Amino acid sequence: MHRRRFLQGAVASGGVSTMSWSGLFSVPAFAEQVKRSNKRCILLWCCGGPSQFETWDPKPGTSTGGPFGSIPTAIPGVHVSELMPKCASILDKMAVIRSMKTNQSEHTQAINLLNRGDNPRPPFTRPTLGSVLAQQLGQLDSAIPNFVLLDPCPEGNEFKGFKAGNWAGWLGAEYAPVRVGGEFKIEDATRIPGFSEADHEEREALRRFFSKKFENEQKSAAAASHNAVYERVKGLMSCAHLFDLERLPQKDRERYGAGAFGQHALLARSLVEEGAPFVMVANGMPWDTHVFNHEIYQMVVPDLDNIVYQLVNDLKDRGMAEDTLVVVMGEFGRTPWINVKRGRDHYPNAWSLAMAGCGIQPGAVVGATDALGVDVTESPFTEKNLFATIYQALGIDPYAEYELPNLPTFHRVEERADPIKEVLA
Amino acid sequence: MKIDELKVIKLPTTVHDLALVADGTRLWAACLDGGVYGVDLETEERVLLGEHTRYASGVHALPDGKTVISAGYDGALLWHDVEKRSCFRRVQAHEFWSWQSALSLDGKWIASSTGQYLCGGYKYEPAPEREPSVKVYDTKTGELKASFEHVPPVQSVAFSRDGRYVAAGNLMGEIRVWEVETQELVSTWTTGDFTGWGIIKGHYYTGGVFSLAFGPGDDLLYLIGMGTTRDPAAGNGKQLWQAYAWKEEGAPKEAKSSGDETGQGLMEAFAFHPSDDWFVMAGRLESGQWNVAAFDRESGNLRASYNYKGRVCQGAFLPDGDRFVLGGGVSQGELKEGKFRDYGRVWVSKAS
Repeated sequence: MHRRRFLQGAVASGGVSTMSWSGLFSVPAFAEQVKRSNKRCILLWCCGGPSQFETWDPKPGTSTGGPFGSIPTAIPGVHVSELMPKCASILDKMAVIRSMKTNQSEHTQAINLLNRGDNPRPPFTRPTLGSVLAQQLGQLDSAIPNFVLLDPCPEGNEFKGFKAGNWAGWLGAEYAPVRVGGEFKIEDATRIPGFSEADHEEREALRRFFSKKFENEQKSAAAASHNAVYERVKGLMSCAHLFDLERLPQKDRERYGAGAFGQHALLARSLVEEGAPFVMVANGMPWDTHVFNHEIYQMVVPDLDNIVYQLVNDLKDRGMAEDTLVVVMGEFGRTPWINVKRGRDHYPNAWSLAMAGCGIQPGAVVGATDALGVDVTESPFTEKNLFATIYQALGIDPYAEYELPNLPTFHRVEERADPIKEVLA
Repeated sequence: MKIDELKVIKLPTTVHDLALVADGTRLWAACLDGGVYGVDLETEERVLLGEHTRYASGVHALPDGKTVISAGYDGALLWHDVEKRSCFRRVQAHEFWSWQSALSLDGKWIASSTGQYLCGGYKYEPAPEREPSVKVYDTKTGELKASFEHVPPVQSVAFSRDGRYVAAGNLMGEIRVWEVETQELVSTWTTGDFTGWGIIKGHYYTGGVFSLAFGPGDDLLYLIGMGTTRDPAAGNGKQLWQAYAWKEEGAPKEAKSSGDETGQGLMEAFAFHPSDDWFVMAGRLESGQWNVAAFDRESGNLRASYNYKGRVCQGAFLPDGDRFVLGGGVSQGELKEGKFRDYGRVWVSKAS
């Protein structure tokens, strides 16, 4: 088949996450290229676009500041929202970037931008951060998934659409996430009662033989994806118990807070401890506060404050901080001005995020916005700078070229965008 | 009946609450910038009476004509001397916001409601209160008269017309009515009609009972707000009022706004006409025809409506009964030449 005709067909098929170009255009040699690394990453994905004013870049007493004050932090002269007293107390263990400036103000485009690190170039689909890290940090023979998406809220408008899309892009379905949503336990991941392990292995070997034969002879992306899913399910069978929060100490569960986001953040900690290289924790789109901004933030920010505090402290206490990167961000910030619905709208022009752990300079507070938070006044950074920073912090070459025969040249981070040096240790 | 717009007075920031002076020539406005302003309805002259350190949320003129009490998101109640334009008493009523405050008709008591919505469960059920959710103070001395328990956040509070009872409604639609003197809980019920449970963008409650008012004879308690919505970020519940016979067993619902006559959007303001024959409900329009409407009290039918294209937070009738004032605002708008526009509004209207 002509490559262009294939690509057209692949795009027309809906851009599902089953597409595996690496399985088609390169020798299936990825297994021997696996890197073994102890580096880990947890992404607390604050979908919807968290307000910088009510978190990391407060402007109290100004016409844009809202009703919340600010409080001093462990870093002299640096203040955060009064809704974050716990993070304030450990800010010297974290890094804050207050000068993110991106160019997408709608959810779908911005979620893609901040998950993939670049704007789209159809028909090519850049893999998400999680997929890249799964490939770079994970082990294909690992019993635990290399990319776990913990997502208790099954809905979420544009995020729901993103979730249904192609996470792994040109890396292939092997690097798509295993999503655990709604319940703590993975359902249907146990062997049928009365069915021996030998029986199971025998049938699996037969299935693998025929499906692989079909995949190779027909050059079927769908079959490749199907096989990848089976491999993952096989892995899940052996690690399903790791997704059971009931096995975690009750005290830990109480510390992380009763809400779904906190419980799943704790699960993320546990999973990286067990060897998962990348865990993304989401919780719908609660940060999208076009209505009732302050009324909703009085609830969700204290929740986030506690979660970040517990996670950062736990990783340090368990000796995991040096190898585990924590990123706390959404797809953009929120407007300085209040709309008529008592809400804040989308704002990519000047927003904030926080990081901690692996490769990150503790106590770094980078960039600044003007007095009203309307624009960045110091060190504007884009998604490319951010992704270069994340890769570098984890010891991954930000500018490596993807091996995609017969495709255009792509790099992990294009244009050799600089990492944010001030936040790198 | 029809509603006509007579005048629009601009203030720097949204008017959260207003109180008319007895002769109706001016009003006091509690604003989002924390300021409590006096506004002359004729000349539109504005004076600053006092300031809260956070949003001002409530303002009340005592019958003596000399004292104004305001409430704010700083959790404080401030007593202002109108003549001297100075604050002479500050009571820290709450650790969190004063969501809403109410003055008894005789001016003897002021009540304030509070409560932070903190995560208390897996699906973000509210945690129990950390401080009393409703407090009643003596307006003369500033002394605490009574404290009442509720489930936070408690967004609305009102006195019965005879001043004997105080009612409070929360985000989850739970209403509690207490007798002020005995502090006895005399009625409680929950309606899910005003509360949205977010499953589209996140698991949490939105909406709630935003205003309360006792009807003639104190037999019915009117609840005001927005109907249920699945998307917390949409604000598209039905414009809604309901009336409950709160003294009866189970507090049956006696009347409600008709879905055919209402659009979508949060309703926050409610005021009876001096005749008690009709009332005005107002708020914000998400979709539909109006954000201010007059309803016949007896039938519950809509008599007239108007769209002010803004958010109305509070309203009151002038003594002549022909005119009423509404306080609220429009969008803050983007920064232009280093300044935000004045986005607070007082709309003076006529119903005829």
